Amino acid sequence: MADEFPFEISPMFEGERIRKEGMHVELAGPKSKGFELVRAADMSEVEDGRFTLIGPDLKDMEEGSRHPFAMVYKIAGELVEADLESIVERRNHEFQNYIQGMMHLNQRDDVWIRIGKEAVGKGMNSFEQIAKAVMMLFKNELPFIEKVEATYITDMEEVEKQVDNARDVYKARDERTRGLHDEDVDTFYGCTLCASFAPTNVCVVTPDRISLCGAINWFDGRAAAKVDPEGPQFAIPKGELLDAESGEYSGVNEFAKKLSSGEYDRIKLHSFLEYPHTSCGCFEVVGFYIPEVDAIGWVDRDFAGTAPNGLQFSTMAGQTGGGKQVVGFLGIGVNYFRSPKFIQADGGWNRVVWMPKMLKEKVFQDIPEDLRDKIATEEDVKDIEALRNFLKEKKHPIIERWVEEEAEEEAKEDAPAQAAAPQAGFALPQMMQMPANFMPSAMPMMGSGSGGVRIILKNAKVTVDKIIIQKQD
Amino acid sequence: MSKISTGRFSIEDLENVQITIGKIVGAIEKKVEEEGDMGPTPKPGVSGLRDWDHQVLSRYQPVYTPMCDQCCYCTFGKCDLGGNKEGACGINLGAHQSREFLLRVITGAAAHSGHGRHLLHYLIERYGRDHPLDLGPSNLLAPNVQMVTGIKPKTLGDLEEAIEYVEEQLTQLLATVHMGQEGAAVDFESKAMHGGMLDHVGMEISDLAQVSCLGMPKSDPDAPLAEIGMGCIDATKPVLLVIGHNVAGVANMIDYMHENKLSDKIELGGLCCTAIDMIRYQMDTGGKPYAKVVGTLAKELKMIRSGIPDVIVVDEQCVRADVLDEAKRLSIPVITTNEKIMYGLRNRSKDNADTIIEDLASGKEAGALILDLDLVGEVAPRLALKVAPMRKEKGIKALPNDEELAALAAKCVHCGACELVCPNNLEIMDAMKACVEGDLTKFEILHDHCVACGRCDQDCPKDIPVLDVIEKASQKVISQEKGVVRSGRGQISDPEIRQEGVNLVMGTTPGIIALVGCSNYPEGTKDLYRLAEEMLKRNYIMVTSGCSAMDLGMYKDEEGKTLYERYPAKFLGGNLINVGSCVSNSHISGTAIKVAAIFAQRNITGNYEEIADYVMNRIGAVGVAWGAYSQKAVAIGTGCNRLGIPVVVGPHGSKYRRALIGKPYEEEHWKLYDARNGETLPIPASPEFLLTTVETVEELMPMLAKNCIRPSDNNMGRMIKLTHYIELSQKYLGQMPDDWHRFVRTETDLPLAKREELLKILEKEHGWEIDWKRKKIISGPKMKSDVSAQPTNLKRLCKGEC
Repeated sequence: MADEFPFEISPMFEGERIRKEGMHVELAGPKSKGFELVRAADMSEVEDGRFTLIGPDLKDMEEGSRHPFAMVYKIAGELVEADLESIVERRNHEFQNYIQGMMHLNQRDDVWIRIGKEAVGKGMNSFEQIAKAVMMLFKNELPFIEKVEATYITDMEEVEKQVDNARDVYKARDERTRGLHDEDVDTFYGCTLCASFAPTNVCVVTPDRISLCGAINWFDGRAAAKVDPEGPQFAIPKGELLDAESGEYSGVNEFAKKLSSGEYDRIKLHSFLEYPHTSCGCFEVVGFYIPEVDAIGWVDRDFAGTAPNGLQFSTMAGQTGGGKQVVGFLGIGVNYFRSPKFIQADGGWNRVVWMPKMLKEKVFQDIPEDLRDKIATEEDVKDIEALRNFLKEKKHPIIERWVEEEAEEEAKEDAPAQAAAPQAGFALPQMMQMPANFMPSAMPMMGSGSGGVRIILKNAKVTVDKIIIQKQD
Repeated sequence: MSKISTGRFSIEDLENVQITIGKIVGAIEKKVEEEGDMGPTPKPGVSGLRDWDHQVLSRYQPVYTPMCDQCCYCTFGKCDLGGNKEGACGINLGAHQSREFLLRVITGAAAHSGHGRHLLHYLIERYGRDHPLDLGPSNLLAPNVQMVTGIKPKTLGDLEEAIEYVEEQLTQLLATVHMGQEGAAVDFESKAMHGGMLDHVGMEISDLAQVSCLGMPKSDPDAPLAEIGMGCIDATKPVLLVIGHNVAGVANMIDYMHENKLSDKIELGGLCCTAIDMIRYQMDTGGKPYAKVVGTLAKELKMIRSGIPDVIVVDEQCVRADVLDEAKRLSIPVITTNEKIMYGLRNRSKDNADTIIEDLASGKEAGALILDLDLVGEVAPRLALKVAPMRKEKGIKALPNDEELAALAAKCVHCGACELVCPNNLEIMDAMKACVEGDLTKFEILHDHCVACGRCDQDCPKDIPVLDVIEKASQKVISQEKGVVRSGRGQISDPEIRQEGVNLVMGTTPGIIALVGCSNYPEGTKDLYRLAEEMLKRNYIMVTSGCSAMDLGMYKDEEGKTLYERYPAKFLGGNLINVGSCVSNSHISGTAIKVAAIFAQRNITGNYEEIADYVMNRIGAVGVAWGAYSQKAVAIGTGCNRLGIPVVVGPHGSKYRRALIGKPYEEEHWKLYDARNGETLPIPASPEFLLTTVETVEELMPMLAKNCIRPSDNNMGRMIKLTHYIELSQKYLGQMPDDWHRFVRTETDLPLAKREELLKILEKEHGWEIDWKRKKIISGPKMKSDVSAQPTNLKRLCKGEC
């Protein structure tokens, strides 16, 4: 119960900053050492609620001092498994920030903690209080944790002794995460958290596919499904593999059919053009097919300019969202760029030709090395024509797909005027796309009369307030 | 020929040539770009959304608080309607009160729409009908216009059709106020809702037009900060003061001053929304506004009485009716620039600038009506330059000096007449007594609470100019009234909504609080600051506009920073967003509409009812008009209500004579349909009102947290909302709220840190069954938690219904 602690615990303190002037002690951080670690253990190995401190306690620390700091939690329970460790560990950050007067930054062996003077003044004097609060929150939030015990270390020697072990654990975990693919598991997770806002959206989260919003990965889904199997995140038995390349599974299809009330019965997890995953509203990046170069561009929320197809993020996103399968557009989470199965069905990175500079920089390391300089940004090209030239010049693998088209193009280029000559009517207003289709600009007005005057209009706006149509006598 | 259609066209072979066709006469007009479906109610008439209103009003029933039991609309009367009596025309008190309410709503809506029409006329003349709407990175340009009228405007000219619709409907609504006719209060209520909806369309048109043409920030989170407060006006320069709501005139003054290199020679200050909008003018490319905001209407009379302004220019709306009289006494020439305010002045619109300046500077005429805004742009700054030294030379004396102050205070006989007429019943007599003893602190405190209406002056039997006394006694605090306000950023862009979507959906951003409206605060301006700071710390999105946006900028923390400097202005939890002036309030409703369009891909075009239903059941937003006084505030609030957004007004809001309050104890009202199967879905009583008044901010804060709860919350969202509700109630009211358990569906809805404690209470006090080993609730809750449920008020949206 909250009353047993001499401090308030509330999400409202999450954003609380403790500055140097208001700080009682600083723990770990860039000028010291420390880490946080959660380990799964057997029920018999954990004594529920136990707290051990190695080194001086908070009350023995001088005001304004800095100390090393490590937090090790052992958790046990019938459903507890090593794959859940990182999920629980991440909560340590959140929960310590709920504590008034405590600031927790970063994670793992980068943790940086400050405890405020005010909190100490109000009675926070022992790490045991903090550990007990965090353990209480762990158990409340994640009831699969049946037992938990904590060891905090403020002794430099001991921290140094244990930090390497912690790093080994992080490393093993990262390898497991990286090495874990769709084919290695038999369960995917569905997430309907946003169904309350976007009723028809169904998100399938797999080891190779993070949720569109970027907030839920496979491990999160697994932990949540354990907490409450009937909750918003739940297991999808993946069923039979129908197509490895595009990531089509019978279990996913059944599930899609059920949740979309029959609207969609096929979803290919790693496909862009055929039966793509549905898109909700908060995807971080939207991909768009560029027919002129038979390739795909990506644009993220932070990019305010226009993509080479003449459209902005908001315009394309407007056509993409709402839990619909939209061929030609696809919403994704940024981390999906890091997936080895990234739009595998459509050629993966070899199909990617454009992205905003900032986004490209963000995922630079994940772009196959030989493609890094072949993907254009807004600094390289402004329109499709320039994009085409850029790709040719850089020998982007996409040009191999063009061989057939090229031949047709050449035939067309011989007679540009006929192809686009306007009739008496008007081209429908596709202004957005216009720049791409622009042809050079001279055209005889009023039919193709011979001789006479030739009028060339440039940068003109003709406004007709009213057209009166009358039958001629 | 039938192939010709209206719209804008480009011809492929002509480089950058665009042809616009306005109207076609003689053939069936076909419009281009009607992609997507038109919803069922484009341009609804007075009865078009009546079913929705009636449904909403059956849950949120009107509660009337008459200020007067009589009706004196016609010469049959006046009629006493008290004691269930009918008037001579047959009207009863309920219907009359709702009619009074309707009249206020349409007055407010007309003020905004009239403003919009004026701006539109003026800007079309300057920039042309085909000037594009340029609003920042959004796909959905005009959510209110599109939802209500079905029009998807792309240019200034496109807005005309929408404003015509608003004008037509306002005429129809005004007609219903005529004696006799409508007898059912509920239908006056529905009409009032209609008026409120129109108001948001009118406001949107105004702001979209000015943002597109006048270089105002376009969905810009980094819109610059401007100085605000009486204390930041540099009285050593000639002071040009603008008052009102319509930026068109002052934009010309700024241009004239810029072109003639007068910008640093004249101090330009503004009151009310003209001030808010002049610090937006030409700020879309960065820079810092040099014009300064004095403050809200509550500073208007104080600013004039200070004698500091050398010229006053008024336009429309929240402008005191006695500006000319007050200014005349201090030899300040007044220029009126809008047909809504002419003060009986001679029309000089066609006169030569030199002559006008001469007549006004010499005092031959106290002011001038100049409707030609180009002329205003030149006359006002030149006049300020000319008049300022003359006024200095004359030694115009405004406020009393120190001895006079003491003498005036000593003259007071403590009869209490001033306190009786004071809208906030301020303790003026005590302050007078203290002042006699040389203690000015009571007046200094009173100054913040005073709305400067001036009624005290007129009721004083000893003819003490009470307001001047308050102002003189508070000179020290007035000189320190220096803050900053972020200039209005315009709409919330589509990408921002997508980004914040995750948090709104997950519940980590617990809600959106719109702090809007006027400056008739019960306890002074500081309450706004306390409220905003508390909710910002709790990660709510605070949206603000108009008077509230100004007053928020007046307070600083220990480090000397205002909330605008402490909290960023993106559409994210824990951010403070100033959308702009009064008409920018439409962007707040517009944001809710965008959420429906973006997350659920709902068709918003001409589809009001469905969108309102979505907003009401899903978007945890509450509006607060803490100092509501004007008819515009009630129009804005009513427009929010029809869209499903609850609104709280401060205690003065009871004078609007009606509230819409649900009854949580009547279970039959708290049921919806689940659109997946049409089954009945019990919902929590939240929002529990659509319009209500509250006495104190202490009461208000937990109420806001509670009313951000929505039927569709997922567990994390409900948990966080409930945490804030309980905490705010404990912090400000010293107790657990008595209804918190009604919002609990499963144990995961319970605040994390208090879960065990609350489970115990549920078991002991409410008889719920708890599985203590698994810490799970077995039985007790009236509703179950199912994030996939699709709550709706509309049977027709359920599967199998259509």
